[in-house]
Amino acid sequence: MLKGADIVLRCMRAEGVDLVFGYPGGAIMPLYDALDGSGVRHVLTRHEQGAAFAASGYARVTGKVGVAMATSGPGATNLVTGIADAKMDSVPLVCITGQVRTAMIGTDAFQETDVFGVTLSLTKWSRLVRTIDEIPEAIAEGFHWARSGRPGPVVIDIPTDILKAKKEFSGPAKFTPHARPAEANAEGAFTDTIVALLQRATRPVALVGAGAKLSEAIPELRRLLDDLNIPTFATVHGLGAVPPQSLYYLGMVGMHGTRAANTALHETDLLLVFGARLDDRVTGDPTRFAPNAKIVHFEIDPAQLDRVRACELPVIGNLVDTIPAFQAELRHASLPDWSGWRAVACGPERAEADPRGLAQPTMRFLDELFSRLPQDNVIIADVGQHQMWAAQRYRSSSPRGFITSGGLGAMGFALPAAVGVQLAKPETCVLCVSGDGGFQMNIQELATVHRLSLPIKMVIVDNKYLGMVRQWQQLFYERNYAETDLSDNPDFVEIAKAYKIHGWRLNETAMAEFPVSAETGDLIENFLRSPEPELLVFDCHPEANVYPMVPAGAALSEMVYGDE
Amino acid sequence: MQVFHIRYRNAQGALMRILNAVSRRGLDLTSVHAEYVGQDHAVTLLLEVSQKQLGQLSREWYAIVDVIEVRSSSVLRGRAEPAWVPHPPASESVVQQSARAALA
Repeated sequence: MLKGADIVLRCMRAEGVDLVFGYPGGAIMPLYDALDGSGVRHVLTRHEQGAAFAASGYARVTGKVGVAMATSGPGATNLVTGIADAKMDSVPLVCITGQVRTAMIGTDAFQETDVFGVTLSLTKWSRLVRTIDEIPEAIAEGFHWARSGRPGPVVIDIPTDILKAKKEFSGPAKFTPHARPAEANAEGAFTDTIVALLQRATRPVALVGAGAKLSEAIPELRRLLDDLNIPTFATVHGLGAVPPQSLYYLGMVGMHGTRAANTALHETDLLLVFGARLDDRVTGDPTRFAPNAKIVHFEIDPAQLDRVRACELPVIGNLVDTIPAFQAELRHASLPDWSGWRAVACGPERAEADPRGLAQPTMRFLDELFSRLPQDNVIIADVGQHQMWAAQRYRSSSPRGFITSGGLGAMGFALPAAVGVQLAKPETCVLCVSGDGGFQMNIQELATVHRLSLPIKMVIVDNKYLGMVRQWQQLFYERNYAETDLSDNPDFVEIAKAYKIHGWRLNETAMAEFPVSAETGDLIENFLRSPEPELLVFDCHPEANVYPMVPAGAALSEMVYGDE
Repeated sequence: MQVFHIRYRNAQGALMRILNAVSRRGLDLTSVHAEYVGQDHAVTLLLEVSQKQLGQLSREWYAIVDVIEVRSSSVLRGRAEPAWVPHPPASESVVQQSARAALA
């Protein structure tokens, strides 16, 4: 006879889980009681949101399912932002929540929340377990949906009496999904159409999103792009999918994308989209997005098609299958000479200008930092100006090397996500870049970093403002800096010290020299090479802005390049 | 006015997810009728949608893991039987139509 809690853990082990993140509490105590000897390592975060983001970081960097645990009521509701983030960014996340006793459900019992209802619209699948017999199938089905197709978050809510109940355990369940009508064009029905479109195109381009990484289709994608030789760019989640040194790679597209990428996207007459949602941060004004283009949209999730802009040809399926089918057809086709288009789209007149203006020192700082990282590194960016600066300066060809909360844009993501990444990749240099606002949203996870001696390198780009909001206030609200002033920030180095973490400080004046002085270089080197967790506060100009920028509601062709 | 007929596995929350796709868009549901049909369940929804919302809703419903099939039809006054049109995953005929439109 096994307790429900033991069955949960055995079933999770059968799903390959050996690490979970969580925070204990009343209703989930039986599960915590069963952890010892289960083969599942638990990492205590200092807030349930930290657990969800840590599990997300683990999942994003490994491609495996991340698991977060919390108790009923506030424990579970604190997971909600992490669940919403996982939904937006297609992260395989399973959240196990304790619930009040079965007999108390619906009575507004202490710490009772309708977690199933609260998370219904944010989850890919969820289950309130009603009997101990349901546990194996609930775990099997939950993990299946979390990792299959377009990955996403799952919630399994288990009342405390079911965790304590006992039964004979006959082993983990296997889940077989129910039959659905066969999905269209999984086999090459679309390929000759795309080739025909390419043969008619004069200005084709390719846009790469997160789907290329999630489907593990990077080799297939790179081979295809090598054959196509067309201007290519990436969304923020697509960074690293295409090596930045590729001849026709134009960088990041969208609101803070490069001039070359956004201009080519505006001018194209055939847009091939590989695993990107085409959300508003990528399209700008959707009515003026790629106005002359036919769009071929490779996408695993039909719900993403035609959401913002109608596509002419949807290609529904996993990129691992659809790209090779396309490429096979391509081998027999003769394509037009696009050298003239390539010369324009990738020409020097559209190349990025050197950073200038108030943001120049910060850009230089990030360049210094990134260029000194060991080969094996992962950068986790929080949300805000530093996130966009980091994305703009990211130069790695590691597909899972740049991690951020792109869809939800959840401030406070980076530090706990870095915990998950470092635990998944103990030998990797994990660089966590935050702003002064976002860092304080999950600052308590410094305790987790210290407890586990995780050698995470934490950078705070401190402009003493909620910088991105302030930038919009400056540009669109006549400099009415309403409630974005953080000039009374605490001393982050002292805060780190209180958590027994060493802190460093660097002022942007150190970036006036380029290349930087030996002293500054040594500081950055020592920061990065330390075997311990380290915090580096970079004081940057309060009114530094992120450029280029496509103002909200503008077309990609209406980029703004500076304050003037 | 559009009528949608959605067949789904009656798992926890499946019907709520179907309805949520409507409510998150602020659309008014004129009529909802859910029933047991054979081995599955089916819900028939009547609501006013734009052409764009029609496609979005159909695809979003289809993305719900417990949904098996989505069909829709315009409600025409005086017409006894709606002409049901399948929605994604598109049938081969729809793919062919899409391909022809793309090449047009």
